[in-house]
Amino acid sequence: MTSLPGLRARRAVPSHRPPLGLVLLAAVVAALAVVPLIHLGLRVVDGGVESLQPLLRPRTVELLISTLVLGLAVTAGAVGLGLPLAWLTTRTDLPARRAWSILAVAPMAIPSYLLAFSFVAALAPRGWLAELLAPLGITATPSSYGFGGAAMVLTLTTAPYVVISVRAALARLDPAADEAARSLGRGPWAAARVAVMPVILPALGAGALVACLYAISDFGAVSILRYDTLATAIYSQYRLSFDRSAASALALLLLLMALSLVWAEGRVRRRAALQVPHGARRAPRVVSLGRWRWPALGLCAALTVLSLVVPSVTIASWLASGLRRAPQLWDALDALRDSLLLASAVALLALVVAVPLSWLLTHVPGRTSSATERLLYGIYAIPGISLALALVSLTLNVAPVLYQTLFALILAVALRFLIQSVGALRGPWLQISPHTREAARSLGERPLGVLRTITLPLLKPGLLAGFAVVFLSTLKELPLTLLLAPAGFSTLATDLWDSAREAFYGQAAVPATLLLLISFLSVALLMRRGDVQA
Amino acid sequence: MSPMAVRLAGISKAYPGAIALDEVSLGLAAGSVLAILGPSGCGKTTCLRLIAGFERPDAGTVEIDGRRVASPSSMVPPERRRVGLVFQDLALFPHLTARQNVAYGIRRGPDATVRTDELLELVGLTADGDRLPHELSGGMQQRVALARALAPRPSVLLLDEPFSSLDQAMRTQLRGEVRQILREARQSAIFVTHDQAEALTVADRVAVMNRGRILQVAAPEIVYAEPATPFVATFIGVSNLVAADVMAGIATTRFGAVRLIGTPAGQVAGHALCLLRPEHFNIEEAPDGAASSGSWEVIDRRFSGSEILLELRAGDGERLWVEAGSRVRHLGLGDRVTVRLRDVETIAFMRRSSGGHGGGQVPAQGGLPLAELVPPGRGDGIGESLASSPPWRAS
Repeated sequence: MTSLPGLRARRAVPSHRPPLGLVLLAAVVAALAVVPLIHLGLRVVDGGVESLQPLLRPRTVELLISTLVLGLAVTAGAVGLGLPLAWLTTRTDLPARRAWSILAVAPMAIPSYLLAFSFVAALAPRGWLAELLAPLGITATPSSYGFGGAAMVLTLTTAPYVVISVRAALARLDPAADEAARSLGRGPWAAARVAVMPVILPALGAGALVACLYAISDFGAVSILRYDTLATAIYSQYRLSFDRSAASALALLLLLMALSLVWAEGRVRRRAALQVPHGARRAPRVVSLGRWRWPALGLCAALTVLSLVVPSVTIASWLASGLRRAPQLWDALDALRDSLLLASAVALLALVVAVPLSWLLTHVPGRTSSATERLLYGIYAIPGISLALALVSLTLNVAPVLYQTLFALILAVALRFLIQSVGALRGPWLQISPHTREAARSLGERPLGVLRTITLPLLKPGLLAGFAVVFLSTLKELPLTLLLAPAGFSTLATDLWDSAREAFYGQAAVPATLLLLISFLSVALLMRRGDVQA
Repeated sequence: MSPMAVRLAGISKAYPGAIALDEVSLGLAAGSVLAILGPSGCGKTTCLRLIAGFERPDAGTVEIDGRRVASPSSMVPPERRRVGLVFQDLALFPHLTARQNVAYGIRRGPDATVRTDELLELVGLTADGDRLPHELSGGMQQRVALARALAPRPSVLLLDEPFSSLDQAMRTQLRGEVRQILREARQSAIFVTHDQAEALTVADRVAVMNRGRILQVAAPEIVYAEPATPFVATFIGVSNLVAADVMAGIATTRFGAVRLIGTPAGQVAGHALCLLRPEHFNIEEAPDGAASSGSWEVIDRRFSGSEILLELRAGDGERLWVEAGSRVRHLGLGDRVTVRLRDVETIAFMRRSSGGHGGGQVPAQGGLPLAELVPPGRGDGIGESLASSPPWRAS
C-alpha cells in the first residue's frame, strides 16, 4: 500500500463539537453576506407601494423577459456545445484529444467582458475581423451585437462548466452497468437509457443550471454588448438616474431568480450524488469516430478560434496600435498598481478566513460544517451586481464611514471569492490527520512548533493555490469594484470596461493585454490543480 | 514489586451521551508489555489518549514514572509527558523523509545523527532513510512509525492497533520483530488491540476491557485458563459454558465432576456455569448405529491446519465445541461421537441467585444475559476491575 498515511480510514475523534471561535467566524461570514441582502429587501418593502412601483412598470417586465430569454438561450447553447465536447474529449479517438480537452475548458478562465470586448473591437470599423469579413459583404454594427452577441459570448464562457460536470459523470460511468443491461436482453439504446442516462442527466442538469446562473448574473459582457438585462438596468438606474429604490427592487428581483436557481441546482446535485460507483471499474470503451472525426475536429477548432484565438488576436492588434501612444501606458500602470493592491489584500483576507473555515469543513463533520458549506455556495451564487448594490445601500444608510472605502471593497470581494480559497485548502487539510499533529506533540513539540514544522509545511500548497486563485479572480472582478471602489480607484477591469463603453479601444489595449495574460495564468492554475484533466 | 511506568487510578471519562471509561485502574510495571484487549468501542483507545495527554479525565489520576501527569484539575501537556505513540493510521509526517520523521523527536545535538542512525538500523531501514513515507511499503511505514516513537527514549510506548492495516503474513512477522525490539530495549509499552492472538502472543500481561470497564488484568495464560467473567471466557479463545452444580470445590456437570481451581472446600455452593475449553474433552467415534442417549452429532467442522475443531449437538439440543484428536480427524458432518471429559481443573461462574434450586435446565451457552452472571465472591470487596483471577482462588 503506497497511499499517504494520512489518507487512510481513521477512527473519528470523539469530540464533534466545533470550537466556539469557529462557529463565531462562520456566523460573522454569514452576517456579512446576509445582512446587506436583508437590508436590501427591507428597503424595498419599507418603501411600501411606492418602492414596489418600479417592479410593476412594463419596462421591468421587459427586462425580466430579456434576462430569462438570455438565460435560456445560453443554457441551451452551453448544453448543446458542452455535451458533445465532454463526450468527444473523454470517450472517442479524437485526434489530439488531450490538447482539446484542455482547450475546451480554458475559456472559463477568461472573463466574459474581455471576450465581449474583443468581439466588439474586432468587428469595429477597421477592426481586423471587420476587414477580414468586409470583402465577403458582411458588415457588423454595434446595434447588431445585442442578443446574438451576448448569447454567443456567454455560451462560449459557460460551456466549460457543462463540459466539466458531464466529464466527471462520464468518468464515474461504469461500463459494467451498460454490459449488465445488454446481458439482460436490452438493445444498445435501451441499455444506454438504463445505464448511462441516470448518471449523465443530473450532471448535465447541474452544469446547465450553473450556465444559466452565470448568464442572468453577468454584468460586464451584456453591458459592453448593449443588451439590456436586469443586471445592466440595476447599474444604469443606480448610476445614471440615481433612482436607488428602482435599482434596489431590480437587484432584489435578480437575487431571487439566482437563489431559486441555486435551490434547483442543489436538488439536482443531490440526485447526482446518489450515483455511487462501486467495485473495480475497467477503463471505458473508446469510440472510434471514423469519418466523423473531421466534423468533430471542426467543432473543437471553431470553438477554440472563437473563444481563445479571437481575443488573443484582437488584443494583440490593439496593443500594436495602442502602444504607440505612451501616456496610456502610464494610466494602465496606475490601474495595474491598484489592481495588484486590491487583489493581494483580498486574497490575503480570504486566506486568513479560509484556513480555519476549511479546517472546520474537513475536521469537524456535523451541522455547523454543512451549514457553512451551503453558506459559502450561496454567497458565491449571489449575483455580483446585486451584492454590490446591497452593500452600497447598506454602507450609505447605516455606515456612511464605510461608503466607497477600500476597506468595504476588500471585504466584499473577499467574501465573494471565499469559497475558492476554502476549496483550495480542503485537499491539504484532508491530508493532515489529527493524529499527525498529536504524533508531533507526543514527540515533544509545543503547539506552535507543530504549526511551524508540520501543519504549515503540509498546508503550503493549499495556501499558495488559495492565494493565487482568489488573487486572479479579483484581478478580473468587475461589478463589485465598479460600484464599491473609492473615487479615483480604478482597476484593469474597470479601465477596460470604461474604454469599451466609450469605444476608445486603443485605450483598452494595455489593460486588455494584462487581463488576457492573467486569464491564461488562471488556466494554467486550473490545470495544475487538476480541475482540468485530459 | 518493580516500579510502575504507568498508573491509572480510578479513571472515569464520559463523552456527551456515552461513558467511555468507568473507574478504570491499571498499572504497568517498568520494562513490561501490557495489551489492552477488547471489542471496538470498549474504551481502550480512550485509555491510550488519556495517558498520552490528548484527553482529560473526568475523575481519577494518571501517573507516569511516579509523576502525576493528569487529574481532573491538572494536565501536563503531551509534549512534556515522555510518551511515545504509534497510531493506527501511523500519522507519519508525509512531507518528511523516513530519517527526518525519526529525527523529529530527538533533541538537536552532536548525538542526534548517531541516535537516528541507530534507530534506522534497529528497524532495518538504513538503506531507505531518504525516502518519503508514500514511497515506502506498509510494513516499512510501520517500522518508521515505531522508530520515530522510540527515538526520544520515552518512559512508555503506546501503540494503538499497530498492526491492523497490514496483511496477515506481514502482521505475524512484524509482531515478532516489535516484541523483540521492545524486549531488548526493556521498553515499557502498552498496546491496544481487538485481536486476541496479538494480545496473547506479544504481551506480558493482558487487560481485558468491555464497555469502559476493565474486567481482568493477568498473564495471558491466566486470562485464558481462569477468566474473571463469562465475557472474558467467551472473548478469549473458544469456550463452552456448561451448566453445573457446585459444592465443596467440585462442579458436577453432565460430563461428570470437575475440580475447580484452588477452591476452599465448602465455601460456595449452588448453580453455576462451568468453563470447559475444547481441549478439555476426549472424543471417540460412536459405535455403529448408536444414536444412543449419550452420543453427539457433528454439526460443524473448522480446520485450521494444526488443529481441528468440531461443533457437536446432543439429543437435547445442547451444543459443544471440542478439539478433534488424531484418531478422529477424519470425522465429518453428521457423524456421531461420544464425549468424555479429561481430568482437568477449571473454573465456574456462580449464578447470582444461588437460593433457587430446581430452576430447571440452565442453558449451556449464550442463553443467559451476562449481567446476571457474576464471579462468586463479588461481595468480597475486591473490585472486578482489579481482579486478576477468580476471587475464590486460594491466596
